[in-house]
Amino acid sequence: MARLNDDAQWIILMGFLISFSFFFLAIVINQSTVVGQTTAESVIEFPKNDIRDISQTISGSVNLPFPSNETVNQDIVVIALNRKNAVVSYTIIQPAPPSDVHSHAVIHYNNGVTEYNENWTSL
Amino acid sequence: MRLIEGISRRRSTGYPIRTGCRSLSRTETWSHGGHDRVNCDGQLYTIEGIAAALLMIMTAYLVVNATSVYTAGDTHISDMQLEQMGSDALKIMDTPLVENEKSPLQDIVENYNPGSNNATFGSMFLDLTNLRAGSGSDHIQYTANFTCRINPGTEIASYPLSYSRNLTLGEHAVRVTKWVTVNKGAAAFCGTTNTERAVLVEVLMWRD
Repeated sequence: MARLNDDAQWIILMGFLISFSFFFLAIVINQSTVVGQTTAESVIEFPKNDIRDISQTISGSVNLPFPSNETVNQDIVVIALNRKNAVVSYTIIQPAPPSDVHSHAVIHYNNGVTEYNENWTSL
Repeated sequence: MRLIEGISRRRSTGYPIRTGCRSLSRTETWSHGGHDRVNCDGQLYTIEGIAAALLMIMTAYLVVNATSVYTAGDTHISDMQLEQMGSDALKIMDTPLVENEKSPLQDIVENYNPGSNNATFGSMFLDLTNLRAGSGSDHIQYTANFTCRINPGTEIASYPLSYSRNLTLGEHAVRVTKWVTVNKGAAAFCGTTNTERAVLVEVLMWRD
């Protein structure tokens, strides 16, 4: 029987190592697309623009007189629930000079995935 | 007794020693009187077999993984970019050009004319979203409406504001929204007069 020639074992071993390292690099490149997808999904899911928008609208309505502020409050709560699937609730605290000259708005936002609470103070 | 004899009996082959399995390659056993030998002649074939199996499994894994990921990832990334661009455009439209005056979007909602396609909204929104660096514009289409609450109560009503193309439900559209505060003065608006109202402008936009 012809005996197996095992002279070049080191070279073959290095060949295996290099080919395996290529495969691991391929896996890393493969994962990068998954990372891009999950990042984009979480950006879409996180309601950054909604929260900014509602916070800006509420803080812009703190100086409204009595009947208007109640109407706007109901508008925001009802429309946010119906069209944005978000539960919004806020309370505006008027300034009480001289101890406190700032208006405050306590804002709560919850769309089932993201919950956001803000204590806004006027300048 | 033959087993013990077999193990204890060793034979020198006279081969030069190259590998680490010195004792094994030089040991021959006759466990049951046959000629089966335990040595390391097939070492390389074994490594090759394991390597080939691993290569095949990893190749199958990569192929299956690659096909399921690419399309999904691409659509989400472009959706995200489109949504962000639409939000930015609406935010620009709701910014007054002069301090303490109404923003273009407030004007558009307050001058809403039922049944008409608002041209100001269309030209402004498409200008903001279709402009691209370099030559050629993007192909953004949109359809916009706004929603208000009927005062008093919790009923809502939506009114079409403007559109660049009819929605055929085949589009891959994203939805962007903007809260706008309007005051129509003495004219009736969603059940009230002379009061501020918060309405939600919703835009479905897509690339065709």
